[in-house]
Amino acid sequence: MALSREIYQALEDIVGKRNISEDIGVCETYRSIPSQSSAHYGPSEHWTPLPQAVIMPGSTEEVQNIIRICNKYGIEFKASTTFWATMGYIGSDYAIQLDMRRMKSVEIDVKNMTAIVEPFAVAATVQAEAMKVGLNLNIPGVGCSSSTLASTAGWAGFGPASIFMGASPENLLSAEWVLPNGEVLRTGSLGSGDGWFCGEGPGPSTRGILRGIFGPAGSMGVCTKIAVRLHPWPGPADFPTRGTIPAYKADMGDNFKCYTLCFPDWQSWARSVQYFHESDVLYIGHRQFTMFGRNLKAAMLRIITDPDKQLCDLPTLLEDEEIKKQNESMKLDYQIVIAGMTERDMEYKEKAVDEILAQTGGWKNEMMLEKDMHDFALLYLLRLGHKNLNYVMCGAYEGTFGLSGNVWKTIQVVEDAVKIKRDWEINYDHIAATGGDSAMGGTSALGGGGWTGWEFFTNFDAYDKESVRGTCKFIDGNQEFQTKHGFGPDFCRWNADVRHMNGYNYTQEEHDEIFKNAPQPLVYAYQYKIREVVNPNNLCGSYLRTLTPSKAK
Amino acid sequence: MKEKLIEIVGKENFSDNAEILESFSKDQSFAKSMKPWFVVKPANSVQVQGLVKWANETRTPLIPVSSGAPHFKGDTVPSVPQSVIVDLSGMNKIINISRQQRMAIVEPGVTYGQLQAALAKEGLTLSTSLAPRANKSVLTSVLEMEPRLNCIHQFNYTEPLRCCEVTWGDGNQLFTGEAGNGPKDLQKQLEAEKFQVQSNGPNMMDLLRMVIQAQGSMGIVTWVSLKCELLPSIKRMYLVPAKKSVDLEDFVYKVIKVRFSDKLYVMNKAYLANLLGENSEKIVKLKKDLPNWVAAVGISGDILLPELKVRSQEKDIEDFAKECGVHFLSKVPGATGEEVLTKSINPSDEKYWKQTYKGSFQDIFFITTLDKTSIFIEAMYELAIEEGYPTEDIGVYIQPQHMGTSVHLEFNLPYNPEDSKEVNKAKELYTKASKKMSQLGGYYARPYDIWANIQLNKDAKSYNILKQLKNIFDPNDIMNTGKLTLK
Repeated sequence: MALSREIYQALEDIVGKRNISEDIGVCETYRSIPSQSSAHYGPSEHWTPLPQAVIMPGSTEEVQNIIRICNKYGIEFKASTTFWATMGYIGSDYAIQLDMRRMKSVEIDVKNMTAIVEPFAVAATVQAEAMKVGLNLNIPGVGCSSSTLASTAGWAGFGPASIFMGASPENLLSAEWVLPNGEVLRTGSLGSGDGWFCGEGPGPSTRGILRGIFGPAGSMGVCTKIAVRLHPWPGPADFPTRGTIPAYKADMGDNFKCYTLCFPDWQSWARSVQYFHESDVLYIGHRQFTMFGRNLKAAMLRIITDPDKQLCDLPTLLEDEEIKKQNESMKLDYQIVIAGMTERDMEYKEKAVDEILAQTGGWKNEMMLEKDMHDFALLYLLRLGHKNLNYVMCGAYEGTFGLSGNVWKTIQVVEDAVKIKRDWEINYDHIAATGGDSAMGGTSALGGGGWTGWEFFTNFDAYDKESVRGTCKFIDGNQEFQTKHGFGPDFCRWNADVRHMNGYNYTQEEHDEIFKNAPQPLVYAYQYKIREVVNPNNLCGSYLRTLTPSKAK
Repeated sequence: MKEKLIEIVGKENFSDNAEILESFSKDQSFAKSMKPWFVVKPANSVQVQGLVKWANETRTPLIPVSSGAPHFKGDTVPSVPQSVIVDLSGMNKIINISRQQRMAIVEPGVTYGQLQAALAKEGLTLSTSLAPRANKSVLTSVLEMEPRLNCIHQFNYTEPLRCCEVTWGDGNQLFTGEAGNGPKDLQKQLEAEKFQVQSNGPNMMDLLRMVIQAQGSMGIVTWVSLKCELLPSIKRMYLVPAKKSVDLEDFVYKVIKVRFSDKLYVMNKAYLANLLGENSEKIVKLKKDLPNWVAAVGISGDILLPELKVRSQEKDIEDFAKECGVHFLSKVPGATGEEVLTKSINPSDEKYWKQTYKGSFQDIFFITTLDKTSIFIEAMYELAIEEGYPTEDIGVYIQPQHMGTSVHLEFNLPYNPEDSKEVNKAKELYTKASKKMSQLGGYYARPYDIWANIQLNKDAKSYNILKQLKNIFDPNDIMNTGKLTLK
């Protein structure tokens, strides 16, 4: 059902003619094919629905007025900014897409280490501004080209630096939030006009209904401005980069070091991670380059750091004895960055890393100590600007398994998961054969350590239906494994209960059937009740997981 | 009524004794007194749930109390008649300690002394609030967001609190955070190596945040999981004296920014004298001897090259002090770092240290940023002069929190409860200063007593949403009725 002229005119009156469109060519570009880009419900052959219009508000007031119109006429709406994932797109036919790119300001309170950001302040911009004043921010795994506000208020938000900087829920201070009913709520100290410094209270925190372990993925209105906590940056005011795309490198000086730490077995690996959780040594801790696969990573690192090399060089490189040696060396590895706040601090951190390696029988990989390789890996991890490399194998990827949580439990089953993936790689040609183990992720998804967040990068061809379908079967098998070992949903199935494979929303009845069987169904019943308060017309799609209270046991 | 309550908790855990009721009718604050109807002491969460269901059926207000007397903030004093005190102090088990995960799970009646002793055996400790009362409940302390001495490890505003079991005002019971994603059976979760580490969630909302700073007005929490730290093998405390609080600002910002120290706070001499002095005479003397202001900086090392870490930070922080024009010392006139450390991290003697000087006190605390603290301090002194309250008695405590993005600013106003003139002056100053601090931008995140009116009146939208949330979790308004409402 197209928007009536009356409605379209009302929306145009809010943002002006230049900032709204119902042109089919424009609207088509606001559809997502969930076969790639962290749809988190598995590869699918379907596109998300076509929006009736795309609108670009320029202020909180404009957002509020758009939402008022949506409530008046029962139009679904969803705001997105950098459109990384399918969760940013609408889920029904009578819906409009808000594109928040006009709102992009960044203000930094240097002393109190806070940035106040609008939706289109992408992490790269916030980081560039922060570095000028000796600060930095947690850039989640989504990478630096994505909206800081979206990952902080709207989704998960952990990344390589979370061990030092905390994950997004930990960094969120006050927020300005247009509720789905059109009211504007300012959380914490901002509500009383006292400043952006505290997101909690007064009394119980309304911030608790803004986001939990995940944000509501656009299903609870629109955040128009938030404050995020920043963290120390003991480096230069900008990255001293050199090299050619994609192999940019940075010499950050003596107070930054990037190492690939390697271990003889998973027990030693986990013990070393626990040491880092218990100390304040790491700036970044991440198992990054296994994303290319256990058998390929050394060769892939040679390719992506050398502009003269291409993927077709892979077979040759894999025959190289030195590459084989390096691959074997970093079979069970992760990357770290240490950053010295002072010379003495750097000396302590260097010795602490050596001590941990001595106590766990670990070592530093030699190849990753080469100057160019070091400077490449360092910049990669500090900036997270190489998201394109996720796609380099086959054009599409999904994270699978997701053995997150207690690292000591994870390592008990990780090799079983590796074997499942390796068997699939060998027996079928739906996914890339990279060596089974492609587990990547943070050494901690929480500030200070204590909870890991892993995914097995699984590369497939989104334009080959057999590859898409085969990958889905592979993931179904993984889910059985996950359930058997008590790990919850496969990383790739996180959103399987909030959007159908055909791209459309779930109905409440469908949600009830799913969530009445949750371990603690009341969680979803309370989410339903809260939605009733702030989103009485249920206009933001089905990403918020809810259970009709009468159906909670 | 009585019979049903006795049926739930047992005869020995029910009381309508006049003396006991009287003891719960008031606290040491200026909150209006009101006698409760009964006092009950549940033994477990099943009984707690039974009490909440009974309260809903009978529309009886319940007031959860976990710490022993005396209380100081008015939150445990009934606001409405026929309230029942739910005394949780008997639920005092340490349910689990995991050295591997650095996690502990405790019931409401567990005190800091009890917990720290048990943790020490495992090589752990819990980041504490400043010299807590001997009978202070750890659970209440973390739920009510009492500021921690170590802001550097406060990654989340709610640290070290992670997950909890809560019986909401509607009688439903669930776990929050990571624990809410597993079976509602703590033992089964522990057997499956799930350690209630992740505080956010369980899903797309943070239900924990519905019970923090709530003064028991949303539900009753019957256990919490807590993130612990390694017990230091070396711990030192240094003191940085200054004439004015502003002289310490650059130094404090600098130390926090690089994440050095494991404890960091600022006090004026009145506050520090109260903390250290064993009696009134000693406090008076200390106030003469101590510097006007002191920043206390703790440094520790644990299992990973502790000597090198401590030595390195000592030298660096000393350099920062020089750059900021202040001195980094192991002692100042009237106090050594070691004395300050010992008093700060250990529970108070049975008589709470804030009562030592004059017998009673009233605190005013709120959240702001470090660079604005001097504005509030100046305003408080001006008001005290106007009200004839002795400015030299005003204690000031600045506790950076949440990694330094904000500070807890606390004014301590001691008075003699036997002297009606002093009582009136303190009360008048408390009332006027509370309003003034709010006007200047002080944020009462924990709005006790008169602060509820002051703070909630500044933010109608938040108040309206809070009321609707309260209606979801406590539809019959039986949980600590009258608190966190506009009057």
